Amino acid sequence: MIPGGLAVRADKLGKWYGNVLGLSDVSIEIRPGITGLLGPNGAGKSTFMKLITGQLRPSIGTVTIDNQPVWNNPEIFRRVGFCPEQDAFYEDTTGREFLSGLLGLSGYSAAEVRDRSDRALAFVGLEDAADRLIRGYSRGMRQRLKISQAIAHEPDILILDEPLNGLDPLSKRKVIKLIKDYRTEGRTVLVSSHVLPEIEALTQSIVLVHQGKILAEGDIHYIRDLIDAHPHVVAVKTGDGRGLAAKFVGEADVLSVRFDETEGTVLFETRNRDRFFERLTRLAADEGLDVEEITSPDDNLQSVFDYLVGK
Amino acid sequence: MAIAERGYTHWPGSLEGGRRPWRVLEDFQEMLKGADKFLHINPAYFQAYYGSSFLIFMMLMIMVGSGSGLIADDLRHNSLPLYFSRPLRKRDYVGGKFGALAFFLLLLTLVPGILFILLKLLFAGSFAFLADYPWLPFSFIGWSVFISSFFSLYTLLLSSLGRNRRYAAILMVAAYFLSDVFFGIFYGIFHEPAFCLISVQMNLRQLSAAFLGAKPQFDVPWIYSFLVLSAVMVAAVLVLRRKIRVAEVIR
Repeated sequence: MIPGGLAVRADKLGKWYGNVLGLSDVSIEIRPGITGLLGPNGAGKSTFMKLITGQLRPSIGTVTIDNQPVWNNPEIFRRVGFCPEQDAFYEDTTGREFLSGLLGLSGYSAAEVRDRSDRALAFVGLEDAADRLIRGYSRGMRQRLKISQAIAHEPDILILDEPLNGLDPLSKRKVIKLIKDYRTEGRTVLVSSHVLPEIEALTQSIVLVHQGKILAEGDIHYIRDLIDAHPHVVAVKTGDGRGLAAKFVGEADVLSVRFDETEGTVLFETRNRDRFFERLTRLAADEGLDVEEITSPDDNLQSVFDYLVGK
Repeated sequence: MAIAERGYTHWPGSLEGGRRPWRVLEDFQEMLKGADKFLHINPAYFQAYYGSSFLIFMMLMIMVGSGSGLIADDLRHNSLPLYFSRPLRKRDYVGGKFGALAFFLLLLTLVPGILFILLKLLFAGSFAFLADYPWLPFSFIGWSVFISSFFSLYTLLLSSLGRNRRYAAILMVAAYFLSDVFFGIFYGIFHEPAFCLISVQMNLRQLSAAFLGAKPQFDVPWIYSFLVLSAVMVAAVLVLRRKIRVAEVIR
C-alpha cells in the first residue's frame, strides 16, 4: 500500500465486447492525487472506468485496489466512491432521500445515514435544496448530488466518469472546486473527460487513452518533452525579432526560426526547450534584450494529444 | 328451582374461588359451542382457500400493483451502477426485491393458514386436530412458500424484461389470463385434461391440491404441474442473471 493512500492497479487489462475491442493490454498504477483520464469519445475511457469499478469483468488481466481484486468484491466499495456518467435519479424523491437510500445500502445506521447525508449535502452546497424533489434540480445540482453520493461514505478512492459533461461554466467551476477540495492527503481521485481544458483545469497528471490503449501517462509537460518527433515551439514577442533570431540560428538545438509580422513575434522550433530558455534568459539579462512575452503554443494538452494520435 | 325477583335470577350453584386467566378462553369456548361446525378444519378446508381462483387472482393483482416496476424502474432510471457501487452483490439486490414481494404474498398465504390452525386449536381446546393431520402445517407452509416464490419470481422476471413498468404490468396480466384462455379453448375442443398444464392458474390449483392432500381438479399427475411451474422459476432466475447487469454493454 502506498503511504497515505490506496493505489489502483491494472495489469495487462483487456476487454472485448464480442469482436469489438474495448481496451487492450493496459497496465497502469493510479496513485494518490487527481489523475485525469483523457480521450475522445469511444477511446475506452468508460470501459476502463467500468473495469476499475467492478462493473465489467475483464476479458483478460486484473484490476486491484489496495492489492484486492475489484471484480466480484463488493466490500471494496466501502473504500471507493463512484459517480457514473449518466443521470440515475428517481425524479420524485428529494435529494436527501436519494442520498439516504444509497447510504442505507452501505449498511449505515439511521443516525449515521442522517449525519453523513447532511455532511455530504453541505460539502456539495445542496443543503438548502436537500428537501426539494430532484425533478426541480438544475443540471449542475444533479451533478453535484451525484458527486455527493460518491463521497458520502468518505472513500479513499473517488472515481468520476465525465463529471463536467453538459455543465454551464459556473457549474463547472463549482464541480472543479469540489473535486479539488476532496483531494486531501492520500486520497486518490480519477476523473475522465473528453474535453481537454476540463482536465487541464483539474490536474497536470493525465492518462491519455486512444483506441483502447494508453498512449501516455504522467505529467503533461513531461509527456511533451518525450515527444521527440515534434520539436517545441517557443514564441517570443520582442521589438527586435531579427536581432534575436540572429543570436539563435547558430545553436544546434534550434531547428527553425519563423517571423510572425502581424503579432510581432519570433517562432523558434527547438529540440531542447530548457536549454533554449536558459540562453534566452541569459541574453535578456546580459544584453538587455527587450522581451515582452514568451509563450509555448504547443506545450499544452491539445498539442500533446494531437501529436500522440498522429493528427 | 330458580326464583325470579326484580329481574335478578338466583342461581343455586357455588362460585369458584379466584378467577384464572384461562377462564376467559373457557368462557369463549362456551360461547362458541355450536359454532364448531363452521370451524371444521381439514385439508379440504385449506384447499378451498389456497386453491381458490380468487386468492390466486388477488396475488396476481398485488404483484401487478407493487411489483411490476421493481426492476423496470431501476433500469429506466439507470440506478444499477449506483446500487452496485455500494457493498452490494447481485444476489443481494435480487434477494431484496424477492423478499419484499414474498413478504406481501406470505401475508395472504402463510398468515391466514397459521390463523386457521390457531383458531382451530383455540376452539377445539385440544391438539387432536393436529394428531389427525400431522402433515397439514408442513403442507400449507410449503405451499405458501412455493406459491409466494413462484409469483415473486414471475413478477421479477417480467419486470426485468423492459424499462417500462406499464408494459411489465400488462405482460404479467396477459401471460396469466392468456394461458387460461388458451387452456379453455383447447380443453373445450379436445376435452383433454393435460391442457391444464398450459394454464398458470390451473397448474397452481393442481399443485395446491397435491400439497394439501386434496383431490386435484384434473386427472393429471401433479408432478407435471410442479415441473412447469419450476421451469418458469428457473427461467426467471436465468433471465435475472442476464438482465441484472451493472453496466450496459453496447456492442
